[in-house]
Amino acid sequence: MQNETTKIAILVAIATLVFLLMPVFLILYIRSYARHKKNHFLEKQNMQQRFESEMLQTRVEVQDQTMQSIATELHDNVGQLLSLTTLTLNSININDGEKAKKKIDNSLSLVNKSIKELRELAKLLHGEQLVENGIGHAIDQEISWLNKAGAYELKVNNQLVDLQITSSDKDLIILRLLQEIINNIIKHAQATHIQIDTFLKNNVLHLTVVENGVGFNMEETKAKKSGMGLNSIYKRMEMINGKLALNSAPDKGTFISIEIPYP
Amino acid sequence: MRYLSPIFIAEVICFIAAIAIIWKDKYAFGKVITCYLGIALVTEEAAVYLAIRSIHNLWLFNIYIIFEISAILYGLYHCIRAYTNPKPIFTIGLGIIVITYVFFLITKPFTDLNVITISVMSVIFSLYCLYYYYLLLKDESFVEIKTHPQFWWVSGVLFYYFGSTMANIFDGLFVVKIIGFITLKYTIYVLLNLILYSFWLYSFICRMKQQKLQS
Repeated sequence: MQNETTKIAILVAIATLVFLLMPVFLILYIRSYARHKKNHFLEKQNMQQRFESEMLQTRVEVQDQTMQSIATELHDNVGQLLSLTTLTLNSININDGEKAKKKIDNSLSLVNKSIKELRELAKLLHGEQLVENGIGHAIDQEISWLNKAGAYELKVNNQLVDLQITSSDKDLIILRLLQEIINNIIKHAQATHIQIDTFLKNNVLHLTVVENGVGFNMEETKAKKSGMGLNSIYKRMEMINGKLALNSAPDKGTFISIEIPYP
Repeated sequence: MRYLSPIFIAEVICFIAAIAIIWKDKYAFGKVITCYLGIALVTEEAAVYLAIRSIHNLWLFNIYIIFEISAILYGLYHCIRAYTNPKPIFTIGLGIIVITYVFFLITKPFTDLNVITISVMSVIFSLYCLYYYYLLLKDESFVEIKTHPQFWWVSGVLFYYFGSTMANIFDGLFVVKIIGFITLKYTIYVLLNLILYSFWLYSFICRMKQQKLQS
């Protein structure tokens, strides 16, 4: 009987030890799982920081672009108009009433034109606020600016103007992408015809730009990994889970199609 | 000398730490656990006093487990409610424990140890602890386990109640003496109590660090 009791006691002691070991392993497992979770959490935080820094960069670039456009406009347009006004007013001979009247009328017309140009500039200054009014308006503004240059035959189909939904971060990136594409066309493409289409279908925003410029060798550009801001375009597209299709060949123009989940 | 058992010393240390750290906490949990530790301390010493005077003391433990059930259930409820609404499962658990206790009252004299309720509550508490772990793992937000007071408090409970399962089941079947009057059963309970109070003490220290960071 004593022997039986000892056996039971040993059994209970061993079983208790096993029962105590189980929570130990459980705690070890939870610790390891928590460590993985921590790494994942830190990685997520890192990605968020990278996204925020990229957004800031985009915002700065949009502002830079606006400032550049304003500077060009002031120098090339408003500046010239006002210089011409000064010249006209300086050449007035008050003794010759009829001619003086004509010159004053001309000056008035030049000043009015300058005012109109300045109003247009003021609109541009609100470029970033335009994004807040919707991506459609911002794209419209960008296109009308391009149109003003008069160097291109534009065909535009912007169906995003009446869009009711917005996504502030994506809107800013889309606007910057369009600015980058337009900049590339102005700087490198030597195009005469540009076609821009934008529309939203099944929660995907489509932006297509086709031009008939000199085009480029895609393989060479990819190998160089530089120029035309393509890297930054690809990086930003990846950030907002977008797709970019680019097709170009020397003397065949360029086709760019962007698809972004929206909003 | 019998008054100064290892369990008593561990309880005193834990009780002092509880008064110093979690009593003034904003949550009722701190007060409940401190009171429970006080009750455990008094019960332990009263039981030793009765034993020295050769007076039956099991009835005292039968009263004590009512406080034990309430305090541990409340503690687990406090930890689990951070992740989900635990009211339904705690109502069921409490219901089962109460039925077991009433069943004991009807079928056994009060001077017998309420082993059935102790066994049932051990299983229920262990299940709640495992459920807490599950919720902790499932939760999307990340917590630093090493310094998470609730985690260590629950771990202490799991060690104690899960570890005591075998001893509860075979209670009365083995009274093997290891050295002198010290039985294996007593050794197991001392070990379990030391683990429980060490975990709780660490949990209180973690809470103190949290309080310092928050202030």
